[in-house]
Amino acid sequence: MYKTEVRGSLIHGNKNFHQISSDIIAPIDQPIPLWWKAAFGVSLLALLYGVIAIYITITVGIGTWGVNNSVAWGWEIINFVWWIGIGHAGTAFSIFLLILRQKWRTSINRAAEAMTVVAVGCAALFPGIHMGRIWLAFYIFPYPNTRGPLWVNYNSPLFWDFIAISAYLLISASFWYFGMVPDFATIRDRTTSKIKKAVYGFFAFGWTGSTKEWLRYESLSYVLGGIAAVLVVSVHSIVSTDFASSVIPGWHTTVFPPYFVVGAIFSGFAMVMTLMIIIRKLYKFQDYITNSHLNAIAKILVFISLIMGTAYATEIFIAWYSGSEYEMFTFFKNRITGDYAFQFWAMVICNAFIPQLFWFKRVRKSLTMAFIISIFINIGMWYERFNIIVTSLSKDYLPSSWTTYNPTWVEIGFYIGTLGMFAAGVLLFFKYIPMIAISEVKGVLKATTLNPTDNKISHHE
Amino acid sequence: MNNQHIISVFDEEDKLLSAIHKVQEKGIKITEIYTPYPINEAIEAMGKKSRFTLAAFLFGFAGAVGVLAFLMYTAVFDWPINYGGKPTNAFPSFIVVTIVLTILTITLASLFTFSVRAKVYPGKSFVLPDNRSMDDKFIIVFNREENKDNPLDLIGLLREEGATEIYQKELQPLI
Repeated sequence: MYKTEVRGSLIHGNKNFHQISSDIIAPIDQPIPLWWKAAFGVSLLALLYGVIAIYITITVGIGTWGVNNSVAWGWEIINFVWWIGIGHAGTAFSIFLLILRQKWRTSINRAAEAMTVVAVGCAALFPGIHMGRIWLAFYIFPYPNTRGPLWVNYNSPLFWDFIAISAYLLISASFWYFGMVPDFATIRDRTTSKIKKAVYGFFAFGWTGSTKEWLRYESLSYVLGGIAAVLVVSVHSIVSTDFASSVIPGWHTTVFPPYFVVGAIFSGFAMVMTLMIIIRKLYKFQDYITNSHLNAIAKILVFISLIMGTAYATEIFIAWYSGSEYEMFTFFKNRITGDYAFQFWAMVICNAFIPQLFWFKRVRKSLTMAFIISIFINIGMWYERFNIIVTSLSKDYLPSSWTTYNPTWVEIGFYIGTLGMFAAGVLLFFKYIPMIAISEVKGVLKATTLNPTDNKISHHE
Repeated sequence: MNNQHIISVFDEEDKLLSAIHKVQEKGIKITEIYTPYPINEAIEAMGKKSRFTLAAFLFGFAGAVGVLAFLMYTAVFDWPINYGGKPTNAFPSFIVVTIVLTILTITLASLFTFSVRAKVYPGKSFVLPDNRSMDDKFIIVFNREENKDNPLDLIGLLREEGATEIYQKELQPLI
């Protein structure tokens, strides 16, 4: 429950409903700003680099990458897990905070969900292309085929992963779209442009805001919220089983599923923080994305950071406590010290130590500091995946197969391409879709506004 | 013409709710209420209930049984494959796929049900009494025909309750 008496008004500036619609729709009606064009141009260039890298990978083969027989998973799986992690925030934000009835989510969930859909799209590219012969990718579908019929192996975590990612992409995209329908209707009814009326009218699916529609809309959002909450936990647990069900030292641990889920939510929330600060700054949404919103995200981040630190410590402790010399070697000779010590310590410092600065109110209140820390977390989470994948694979049970791994320009290009794809997707979202859920903000406005003339606070859900 | 409707416009949620109660106390039938965001009291006043949770449960049940049956059929009966001597009916391995696909079934089937029941789908021709209802106005619509005996009473009551505008309109579907 949002205690307005304690936490103050959720939305600043004494807005009325009409102002809320106008403020949030404004970026769609205004001409495209110069910075947007420049940023979109740069992201398209990055995307082009990625398209070239993917083209080379598909036409020439995986040999254009730096992966080898020992380190068979390189940047592609690192980036896949990294993007999936970032893609967790949207659902975590919308679903967990919806179920917990946290009203402050209303200003943020739309952008977080948009980010999720684009990030999961980026992530899905990696395993698809990593399979090698992408033109045979449909083999992974269990369908009646002419090969027997030969069905897929349901015991394989890689198959679970395929199912989990596809389902997650479909579900998060439909949840996101379904939430936008009332807002598209708001744009349709307000605009004077015939083209906009036709386009947004089409996407609004004939929404009018009658009680008949709202009743089902509310029921559906709770049903979807309830079941998708399971998905938030299951998707990254399944990704972790890709590792944990193997016998590779450093992977074969039961802590992996919760460790991955928490890490995913951590990186996702950090990316939400980065994005919300950018939106707030560029579109002057400080009345909607207030300091109190960012403060709430910072508090969640400092809490998750403690869990991350505990997870790292647990892994190291168990490596020692298990008495397994292979686990000991991986953690003490190949992570804490050794060839990959830099990546290990970058992970620990960025994820477990730097976010601790959020304990200080001054740091939480400073947008610059919050922005910098959120970027550090994103980098730290990338290093975490590097650590897990490369350190364990580079030195396995057989010293004769020990090797190092360096990405080639094709792999780097693929990663930069997805960064471009993400940025372009987010920029299109900024321009063409209401960045804040208009009807949801209106719904909580009354209950979360301090009215000096009226001490009675309404508790409308 | 029975397509004529009385449209009353309110600026505030409280006034809308009070008007709904007063009108219903007098036994006047409300055709529909349009609001910019969901208001539970208004939904309840219209006497509508949703059985969505039951539908979702049934979808989930059907999904879970269907997926598990498919996995069992393909992996155990149709083409059992020996994966390193493991049993073909490796039930615990089927759980993950079953859970995820059950959630997917519930989501897609619920969205479809929503689209059918709330009549929200692409290219729908819809009736919008006042195009400010998704912006900042709360609208109550009455059928003119049903209130032909006492329209002035109704209008007076609505004014008393704080309706900012009351007008008559023929409702036409929009594309």
